[in-house]
Formats: sequence, C-alpha cells, structure tokens
Amino acid sequence: MSELLLVTRPKYDDGTEYLAYYSSLIIKEAEKEGIQVKDFEGKEADKKNVINFIEKKNPKIIFINGHGDENSLCGHGDAIIFSLDNITLLKEKLVYARACSAGAILGANLAERNNGCFIGYKYPFQFWIDEKWSSKPSNDNAAKLYLEPSNEVISSIIKGKTAKESHERSKNMMMKNMKKVLKLGEKKEPGAMGMLQVLWNNFDGQVLHGNPLAKIE
Amino acid sequence: MSEEKQDEELKELVLARIGIMPPNLKLSIGNFGTFTKQEMIEHVKCGDAAGKQIIQMQISFIKALTSGRLIEILNKNE
Repeated sequence: MSELLLVTRPKYDDGTEYLAYYSSLIIKEAEKEGIQVKDFEGKEADKKNVINFIEKKNPKIIFINGHGDENSLCGHGDAIIFSLDNITLLKEKLVYARACSAGAILGANLAERNNGCFIGYKYPFQFWIDEKWSSKPSNDNAAKLYLEPSNEVISSIIKGKTAKESHERSKNMMMKNMKKVLKLGEKKEPGAMGMLQVLWNNFDGQVLHGNPLAKIE
Repeated sequence: MSEEKQDEELKELVLARIGIMPPNLKLSIGNFGTFTKQEMIEHVKCGDAAGKQIIQMQISFIKALTSGRLIEILNKNE
C-alpha cells in the first residue's frame, strides 16, 4: 500500500497564499512518487476535517501550512487545528509544520518516545514577497529564496530520506541561498542584508524533534 | 550606556536597515502579518508586537554576525 500524505493549505492572506502555492508543488511531486495525497485546501483546512481524517486514515506524512505559535498550529482563518491537547495524534508520523514558532513548545512534545519526527520552527517563519509578483507566486524570485529550501524538507521526506537528512538538505539550501545573497551584498545590492537576515532567521529557527532516522518505508 | 539608550540605538539601526530595502518587497511574518517597508517602520517606531518581532530578528542576526557564528556556518559548507 502506498504512503499517505496529508497537506493543509489555508489561503486567506498573502502569507498563506504563498504557502498554498508552494505546497501545490509538493502535491505534484508526491503524486509522481506514487504517494496518495489528501489536500485540505482553503476553508477545508479546519480542525474537524483534519482530525477526522487522521483518526480514520492514519496518514504517515503530515504537512501543515499556515499560522501558529509556540503552542498551536492553525488552519483556515487562524483557527487552531493542533494544540497541546491533541498533539499526541502526530506521534509516530513524519510531520513538517511550516508555521511560526510551533517548534519551540508544541513540537518539542513530540521529542520523546516517538518513532516519528516533527520538523518546524522555534521562531516565526518569515519570507520576503516581491509585490510585483504577489498574484503570481511562481514568478517571485524573492520568495523563492525562502520557500524552495522550506519545500526541500517535505520533498526529501516523500523521496524516502530520513528526518535528519531532510532537515539538513533544507538547511544546506538555505546556506547556499545565504551565500548567493552575500554576493549580492558585495555588489552593494540594496536589501541584501535584509534578505540575508530573514534566511538566517529561518535557518537558525528550523528544528527537528523526535527520531532523526524516521522515514517512510 | 543605559538600557534605554541601547534600545533606542537598536531601533535606529533597525529603521536604517528597513529604510534601504527596495520598496517593492514586503515581509511576511506569520500571523503578525505581511508588511511593506513603510508599515514595518511604523510598527518598529510604535513598539507593538510586530515591531518587537522585527527588532528581535535583528538582534538575533547581529549576534550571529558579531559572534562569528554565521560566517563559521557558511564556511563549514565550503
């Protein structure tokens, strides 16, 4: 039986629109890898739908997009899907939470006695958007610097890499992009430092909890 | 230097850094929102939650630069 990937893709502000677009690229990749996908898009990304699905279908890979804080992960309209009350639903799974700060406390609850993993962020996940392309994220080279390395986490997981490998491949891409931006800074490109510090924020903030060797079978 | 003066100088540094960003770029900071350059300046000046978050990111970056940690990490990958 093929693995099952659950994706939440709320779309109700600039940030979530971009995350939703980049997640759609992962959905296409997963389907090419023969992985079944359940996509909770827009308003469907709510607690009732997601929790029901996890309880019934037991997806192995969980990819959460949206807003969050140290203690929660949200879906559509900032409504909480996961909190300390139900985080154990994510045990034994391969979880990537592309959201703010949930890696600090919520994800840390999955560090012990868990054969799965939680990759997320202990700080707010951030990225620059080029307003010229905000209605067409695919053309936005500013956002690409942040969202391609982020996609690498889940892209690596669905290709069978371990949690540690996936986490490190993503960080390596961020390092590569930091060097690219540093070169722009050397050419006195305005905004290079601003772009670099956001890459650093996401690099320093990305954390892995749980079993570093966790992977799909 | 008093803490107040340090905070003020840091704020000025952050404002200067934001000031040189190209006007077409906006920063998405999770549930704090997405901000134009001008909006970021206003939030930093008024010191609200978003403004504090922007400053905190700056502090973290400065620490990584001055401690050598950023360069050490980038050089490790060469």
